[in-house]
Amino acid sequence: MKFLANKKKIITFVFGLLLIVFLLNVFQKEVRGFFYWFSSPIQKVLWRIGDKSAGFFKSIVSADNLKKENSELKQKNQKLLAEIVKLKELEKENNILREALGAGLQKEFNLILTEIISKDVSQDYILIDKGFKEGILENKPVINQENVLVGRISDVYNNFSKVILISNKKVSFDTKIYAEGKPAESEQEEDISGLASGQGGSKISFGFVPREKNLTQGDIVITSVLGGIFPKGLLVGTIGKIEKSDLEPFQEAEIQPFFDIKSSTFLFIVSDF
Amino acid sequence: MKKILIPIVIFYFLVLAQTSFLVHFSILGVVPNISLILAVFWNFIEKTKNYFGLYNAFLVGFFLDVFSQRFFGFYILGLLAMAIFLKFIIRKYVQIPFVEKN
Repeated sequence: MKFLANKKKIITFVFGLLLIVFLLNVFQKEVRGFFYWFSSPIQKVLWRIGDKSAGFFKSIVSADNLKKENSELKQKNQKLLAEIVKLKELEKENNILREALGAGLQKEFNLILTEIISKDVSQDYILIDKGFKEGILENKPVINQENVLVGRISDVYNNFSKVILISNKKVSFDTKIYAEGKPAESEQEEDISGLASGQGGSKISFGFVPREKNLTQGDIVITSVLGGIFPKGLLVGTIGKIEKSDLEPFQEAEIQPFFDIKSSTFLFIVSDF
Repeated sequence: MKKILIPIVIFYFLVLAQTSFLVHFSILGVVPNISLILAVFWNFIEKTKNYFGLYNAFLVGFFLDVFSQRFFGFYILGLLAMAIFLKFIIRKYVQIPFVEKN
């Protein structure tokens, strides 16, 4: 009799649990939307505190490397300044040519500023504080202030949106190597295109690159116009370890992404490009 | 009532801290999931005749599901299954000096 009563209790418990889970899935947008709305002020504060304190601890840990890093950055800065001057000259020249040809200037992105609220505990997703009410739509690209690609909008709630990061396993997009400044050995080597695929855990791979292409560590990867999901010319990362085999027609490489969610607070949604 | 409400508040804030604060502090690229560890630990040290650990596992699972991209139930069912399995193993096969069996 006791066994039967226990059995009845267990069946009721299992059915009750499954019913709760089922209902939660049916009303998941409402449930999640409510909790995001309710929690976002606390989460924003926690994210900012975490960002600041992580930066503080990082600076203590990496104090030894600061001097070396500083001199490297100075050198890089000088190189970049030279490039800026060169680019400004080119821009002037470009504008003159556009005017002469009667072509309009390239349209700038329409950006919407947003703040990160939280990061998924197990997957490469983040939650941001702009949603349907602010005109956010699915699949819009998300970038940071340095024109670095972060991800795209995957789910839109009334006041919040979920962003799937480019390092998520579900994301793949067309990219190419930034050729400017890279000495090309032949005309064919100027354009190196490949497919960037998220590997999870902030890792991205660069695949489908023909073996004969001259890929080197440190090359800059940018988005290409081929995919159409993201605007062209957004920074993705630098080439890391390269895997090349004589047996395989393609070579593969790791991309070390430029974005670091842990040290970002504000992002931009590209609403029009 | 207190026994029901206090874990709700604690686990809610723990999951918030997990998703918004602790993500900045990874150890070798991994962020330890404090709320999940706590739920497992509770079920590990709790007397096997008590079922409060199951309630805690459900709560942690619910809040983790809310703030994750997975379907609702992934963490709830996973954590409950873990808690039941842990209780079963401890009751049947494990003798821990500081944990009373009944």
